[in-house]
Amino acid sequence: MYADICGLLNIQYPIIQGAMAWISDPSLVSAVSEAGGLGVLATGHLDAEGCVKAIKEIRERTDKPFAVNIMLLSQFADEIVKAVCEQKVPVVTTGAGSPGKYIQMFKEAGTKVLPVAPSVAIAKRMEKDGADAVIAEGCESGGHVGKITTMALVPQVVDALNIPVIAAGGIADGRGMAAARMLGASGFQIGTRFLVAKECTVHQNYKDRIIKAKDIDTTTTGASTGHPVRVIRNKLARKFEELEKNNAPSEELDKLGRGALRRAVVEGDIENGSVMSGQIAGLVNKEQTAEEIIKELYEQYKEIMKNTAI
Amino acid sequence: MFERIREIIADQTGKDVEEITMETNVKTDLEADSLDLFQIINDIEDEFDVKIENVEGIETVGDVVKLVESSKE
Repeated sequence: MYADICGLLNIQYPIIQGAMAWISDPSLVSAVSEAGGLGVLATGHLDAEGCVKAIKEIRERTDKPFAVNIMLLSQFADEIVKAVCEQKVPVVTTGAGSPGKYIQMFKEAGTKVLPVAPSVAIAKRMEKDGADAVIAEGCESGGHVGKITTMALVPQVVDALNIPVIAAGGIADGRGMAAARMLGASGFQIGTRFLVAKECTVHQNYKDRIIKAKDIDTTTTGASTGHPVRVIRNKLARKFEELEKNNAPSEELDKLGRGALRRAVVEGDIENGSVMSGQIAGLVNKEQTAEEIIKELYEQYKEIMKNTAI
Repeated sequence: MFERIREIIADQTGKDVEEITMETNVKTDLEADSLDLFQIINDIEDEFDVKIENVEGIETVGDVVKLVESSKE
């Protein structure tokens, strides 16, 4: 049941940093990869040119493998895929759809493909489309989410597939990794904890808000549009909830959401911006370097796995 | 084939079979989200032993039927 994710991706630890739009930039990506995990560049806010520039910057900082996340709904998806293949990026993770039509291009470029799947049916689809592994992402995650929890989703995806499964959503320490391993996951994707890494260039207000967050501080907005997003419940999120309660037209919701992530990440407006965060933020309580985070995660995970017996 | 596809769609979306025609819009009439849509496609693929491409372009039940027919060829 368990697969060698480190061997598949040529990394030291089975830890993948979740892609975070506007946030996981070359600074964070190269720090995670350099520390032995898999850094993942977010490109949802980039065009192909911006993407190539970021890839080159990562390569200046590390010679270890890294990944690029491709938002398949992005208007630039076609050109970003082309750029990623030309740059021979070792791994891609994909969100918002199936990478099926690009698989051939990725295979020819030697790029491993790890799609994110929020349900068994979508995970099976990705396997049929030729994915190398699937990231089963529970709704505890920050940002765009599905409906099923990691606890329920991971074992069902593991049973349905013959390719390795990476668990995501609600994991921020070695205990979460060990739990996901027990559910059958071979690797772990972690977002929120890396958001507060010293190398992460997100606005300090954003980091401070994550560090201050309690277990109940996140909510999902946008369910009525079919694209729910998990965020910290701030003024913007409350405004969203109000509009959705009143069945506001989706254009109005779109208008409110436009530029909101940038407002939080770049400008540090954590009340009127979109502060995307996983439910596990309450467990994230200090800034550390990516290397310290990875070492701590793995040591704790190893210790638990060694000492766990009935 | 349409009958069986209708049943699968009705089962996943909680609608009555009679409500579903070739013109029924999957998103607006059936209120199916992407999780529902991929579940329906998965069930249809298993049922007819086919692989359906271009799922992203599906709007109506008729589109689904056409995709199944073309992938059987």
